[in-house]
Amino acid sequence: MAHLLREKGFNTFVIVGGLAAWRKAGAPLEPVPKEDLVKLPTFS
Amino acid sequence: MMARHGYALTFALLLAEAIGFPFPAAIALVAAGAAVASHTLWGPGVLLAALIALLLGDTAQFWLGRYSGWALLGFLCRLSLNPETCVLRSAESFYKRGKVTLVIAKFIPGINTMAAPLAGSMKMRYGQFLRLDFAGALLYCVIYLLVGYVSRDFLAITLSGFHAARRAMEVVIIAALVVYAIYRAVVFRKYRKYNVVPRVQVQELSLRLSEDAGSVQIVDVRSHGYYDAGVERIKGSIRIEPNNLEEEIKNLPKDKDLYLYCT
Repeated sequence: MAHLLREKGFNTFVIVGGLAAWRKAGAPLEPVPKEDLVKLPTFS
Repeated sequence: MMARHGYALTFALLLAEAIGFPFPAAIALVAAGAAVASHTLWGPGVLLAALIALLLGDTAQFWLGRYSGWALLGFLCRLSLNPETCVLRSAESFYKRGKVTLVIAKFIPGINTMAAPLAGSMKMRYGQFLRLDFAGALLYCVIYLLVGYVSRDFLAITLSGFHAARRAMEVVIIAALVVYAIYRAVVFRKYRKYNVVPRVQVQELSLRLSEDAGSVQIVDVRSHGYYDAGVERIKGSIRIEPNNLEEEIKNLPKDKDLYLYCT
């Protein structure tokens, strides 16, 4: 993904360990905004 | 072996399949059916062991789906070609045909593993799930046990054939392993070039953000979208859908450094 974006001219980097490492380091997180949530069907 | 451990073996294989392991539970049922036909096992005992195993495994998957929200479905869909589509299609398809799906799910590879956690994620009532799952499990067990029961002689011939074909099977397995090793080597060579993308530690990025946040954009490229309320992401990040890259690229800032992350 990062490589593909580089090929399109973006200057990309990859965060080592991803979200898990970010969370573990105590770096700031935020709840995903409601409008970004994908609503899937439920039986209730 | 079937005479000594037949019930336990049937129970273990069906439980393993029900909790998601790729075990040949149908074959175990066919073998048990043949054992019943030869009076090695007692039919109702095998059926009971199989039903308890399936209901236990499915119940565990159901509650896992209920308490993990959509995360479990997202995990199961990670192996598909398009995880986002897999999640959406699975949920919508199950919603439309949910009740019938539970009864026939065990006969359909893939759906078999997804049905119970989907029912949990989709807030199906447990009582209703249990009734439908019981019907599905009963149908599955009875059909495969019957297949084994009526084809006992054919199975005996096939098994003796297996002994003769063992040598050929060994060759085939070794050849398959060699082909797989070559495939992995080709994939490794092909993707080695992707290592040219610089990798940064969290501390390094935090420092950069404190000094020059305006030139940084953090991008969430997790394989599927956000489905559960309360899910978190890195503060200030935006999400792009990896399978829709051509469209998503239009919204990305070219004047900023992009820091990508997944789970």
